[in-house]
Amino acid sequence: MSHEAPHHVVSHYDAPHYVAARVQRALAADERTYELGIRVDIRGDQLFLRGQVESVERRLLVATVAGETAPGLKVHNEVTVVEVRDPGEEETL
Amino acid sequence: MKIRVAAVGDVHLGEDIRGRYRRRLDGIEERADVLLIAGDLTRHGTPEEGRVVADEFRDLPVPVVAVLGNHDYQSDAEDEIVALLRDAGIRVLQDDSTIIECGDARLGVVGGKGFGGGFAGKCASEFGEPQMKAFVRHTREIAELWHKALKSLDTDHKVVLSHYSPVKETLAGEPLEIYPFLGSYLLAEAVDAEGADLFIHGHAHAGVEKGVTPGGVRVRNVALPVLSKAYAVYCLGGEDPEPC
Repeated sequence: MSHEAPHHVVSHYDAPHYVAARVQRALAADERTYELGIRVDIRGDQLFLRGQVESVERRLLVATVAGETAPGLKVHNEVTVVEVRDPGEEETL
Repeated sequence: MKIRVAAVGDVHLGEDIRGRYRRRLDGIEERADVLLIAGDLTRHGTPEEGRVVADEFRDLPVPVVAVLGNHDYQSDAEDEIVALLRDAGIRVLQDDSTIIECGDARLGVVGGKGFGGGFAGKCASEFGEPQMKAFVRHTREIAELWHKALKSLDTDHKVVLSHYSPVKETLAGEPLEIYPFLGSYLLAEAVDAEGADLFIHGHAHAGVEKGVTPGGVRVRNVALPVLSKAYAVYCLGGEDPEPC
């Protein structure tokens, strides 16, 4: 009978590095998002999304797709909606 | 002879934001003589989104010139999108040129989507696998077409309109690792060979607005997230004492 401590198996496939890459790939390829410029960082059980999108709806979809791709992680959606001000001063070249 | 060029890129329009950008174009004729759009007009590159883009930019009081971006190729419907835009009176450049008359001045615009490959000393080359050769060849052939188009233009001012960047400077803020996918020095080299007043591009959402080619052509990254305004306006012919 073995008295060894239980062996905790961690899949390399689930290393935060690869999970973040999978989320980033999903955001680029999922037809609900097609967002290429979202930064994904994982710290412990938390997933941080940063970048800019064109509307509030698109911002929510980014979090949805990220959450589906990395279930079990708490998603912090720090993505902002692009601010579009009126055209300002012209630049003379 | 001055010409005021309005420019924006990466508007990424779709049915969900139909009409929102159009409101920002009110009064553009008081600020500019022409509007240039630097690609990524849509999000998925579908004909449906192409119709939204056409409606958003049709019947403006200034001429509109556009190029496509990588997003506009996503659904393999780029030809249909180009046709929709042209039906709406938008001039779409595909590695060729157009001339716009602005009062007494003539503006030549050369361009197209552009492509990547990286920047001198740290770039891909036409070597090895067929896929790598094809990648770099695509950019080289585009640059050659732009060079010829610029050479054939005899206008008061020349502007190059692209989606991809010709220089690294306007990419500052993007991860270094993706620079080869954001532009190519071959585009700058082609433009420097003939000269131009301005090189407009988009694509680099996290980049910065201002740069310059090795040959001294001003470069402006007009991606909407970089500008944070409906469009930028550049006044060409600054030495002319008459106001724009």
